Amino acid sequence: MYSMYQHTLLGAYINAIILLFLQRVLLLVASDVDALCACKILQALFQCDHVQYTLVPVAGWQELETAFLEHKDQFKYFVLINCGANVDLLEILQPEEDTFFFVCDSHRPINVVNVYNDTQIKLLVKQDDDLDVPAYDDIFREEEDEEEDSEDEGDGSEPSEKRRRFEEEVIERTMNRRQRREWEARRREILFDYEQYEYHGTSSAMVMFDLAWIMSKDLNDMLWWAIVGLTDQWVQDKITQMKYVTDIGILQRHVSRHNHRNEDEENSLSIDCMRIAFEYDLRLALYQHWSLYESLCNTSYTSASLKLWSVQGQKRLQEFLADMGLPLKQVKQKFNSMDVSLKENLREMIEESANKFGMKDLRVQTFSIHFGFKNKFSASDIVYATTSLMENIEKEGHETTNFIKALDSLSRGNLDKLHQGLDLAKKQLRAIQQTVASCICTNLVISQGPFLYCSLMEGTPDVKLFSKPVSLCLLSKYLLKSFVCSTKNKRCKLLPLVMAAPMDVEQGTVIMVGIPPETESSDKKNFFGRAFEKAAESTNSRTLHNHFELSIIELKTEDRSKFLDALISLLS
Amino acid sequence: MRQALEEMRALYERNQADVSEAKSGRTDLIFLIRFRHCCLLRNQRCLLAYLYDRLLRIRALRWEYGSVLPNTIQFHMSAEEVEWFNRYKKSLATYMRSVGGEEGLDLTQDIKPPKSLYIEVRCLKDHGEFEIDDGTTILLKKNSQHFLPRWKCEQLIRQGVLEHVLS
Repeated sequence: MYSMYQHTLLGAYINAIILLFLQRVLLLVASDVDALCACKILQALFQCDHVQYTLVPVAGWQELETAFLEHKDQFKYFVLINCGANVDLLEILQPEEDTFFFVCDSHRPINVVNVYNDTQIKLLVKQDDDLDVPAYDDIFREEEDEEEDSEDEGDGSEPSEKRRRFEEEVIERTMNRRQRREWEARRREILFDYEQYEYHGTSSAMVMFDLAWIMSKDLNDMLWWAIVGLTDQWVQDKITQMKYVTDIGILQRHVSRHNHRNEDEENSLSIDCMRIAFEYDLRLALYQHWSLYESLCNTSYTSASLKLWSVQGQKRLQEFLADMGLPLKQVKQKFNSMDVSLKENLREMIEESANKFGMKDLRVQTFSIHFGFKNKFSASDIVYATTSLMENIEKEGHETTNFIKALDSLSRGNLDKLHQGLDLAKKQLRAIQQTVASCICTNLVISQGPFLYCSLMEGTPDVKLFSKPVSLCLLSKYLLKSFVCSTKNKRCKLLPLVMAAPMDVEQGTVIMVGIPPETESSDKKNFFGRAFEKAAESTNSRTLHNHFELSIIELKTEDRSKFLDALISLLS
Repeated sequence: MRQALEEMRALYERNQADVSEAKSGRTDLIFLIRFRHCCLLRNQRCLLAYLYDRLLRIRALRWEYGSVLPNTIQFHMSAEEVEWFNRYKKSLATYMRSVGGEEGLDLTQDIKPPKSLYIEVRCLKDHGEFEIDDGTTILLKKNSQHFLPRWKCEQLIRQGVLEHVLS
């Protein structure tokens, strides 16, 4: 019986690493940028210590199970990155007694079985990550035998005494059963509250970097990957603003530790060395690799605030540019070719004007990387590029080929892949903005009562792009932001959004995501995971809950309407 | 090969016929005979060069593929070439055993100086299970990456199943 749950401290994990020297490890990595970054850091650590490993990308629960079944005879140690924390792993995978799982996952809430099992499952979490796990006694209970032990006792006892004892026992047993039922009801309630909302904890890449730091094996490269992992969480709106700022502060300390030589003019490093710098940069997507105008049009924050889908919005954009004194011709050409005099105080100028137009958060704390004379990238650039590479629909290869390409692009030697990713990202952002504009102008976002709903039709341009989960999530978030700015209905502004897009025309499936409402102080907690599960159960819809994010599902097109009806009644 | 040999035989027979004729008096055929003889010699040289080149390639195959050749390649070799290959294998093995102390030295490994003990490889196609020295098997699926000791992967890298990943 435990009074407090135990989870593996990062220090204790080091002992496990020593065990791993003689063993081979299987890495199962989910398909998101944070996982890719964590994977890169872990690979570097393993290579440093000559730990033999095999890396298998997994896109969902089915792939995870398949990979596990294929490899379980050959490996005893499994490392799961950004997958596996939020379900009962032992039940799903049914591993042998001597198999160990190390889970580094930012998905919360962590399944209670995973938390309290300290033999086979080791969770990598940061010490100050608040898990809020219910107490052990509230959810687990040893079976107490209800013995009927007074049958043959006391031959010499009198019948009346026996009857009294019998009555007492019946009363006791009824009391026990009632206690049991109460306990179980309370347990269901506790578990329901605990598992109701999905959210995200610290980025896995940051946890891995912390591990590297504790082992004194951290490098500037690994720090950059940790930064990209955190920025991915911010771009995809998975963490709160406060958490982001706190984590940036943590990383800032590491950045100054690794990169302080750049400030010293005399002893500074050669220009070819990689350096990371803290920036209070503009929140415009890819603006240094695009033109300022394009970036302003295709970033959700500016596009939503200026309402660029309408004619007045376009006029406001022109006013905004005029207010800053930036000629249109300059602004429309490639950023690198803009006049140096204009670029000098660009950030402060834009911030000042943005404040006048109601955009108070146009600047954000982030980091950028330099190596060589030409190569300067901001963390969010890398996130967009890698995401587009991973969800690239242009080449129909093996599913894992895109994963491998995206993984490669994170290494500095593969600049060509990174540039390809940047081009794809530009296309993706443009497609998102155009789709958002058309949805708003044609009033495709309708209120269903407890939530807003938008469905993309079959023939919409670029709809194939949105058959991928991360792209669809990005689209949904941008759409919700823009919708909130465009609607006058106060109630609608606080509603969450459910978005559907055609996934596979031949098989007749639709991909559906649910995102939490867009408010200033949102805690980013998403209840759609459980809601989707319940709605699917109650209508017997043919759904596939394959993604590690439970709020993304696939379902058959025919079942869509009854599923939605069930969802509406469930949430009303 | 066969065509060349046919041509040579035809030339030879005609030469023979003409030699017997020349012996019996027609001296103007001598140039024709000489010419045909030169053709025969040239064909012989070409054929020998071709056969020698094939032998050199087969020898290179031993270094590339190891002691067992894939069936597709063996299909294209004649019986004598297979025998030659086996004998070459044997003499290479004897030599390797004699060099480098008791166990011998496998010269076909590490043809380029290695930079590290372990390398990262990526699987380019589904190769199924691959057994390594200590008995454990690795499942090689397309696009899976592995971090293995160098000597275990060299063969497969040369065969094109694995690709060395530089980062």
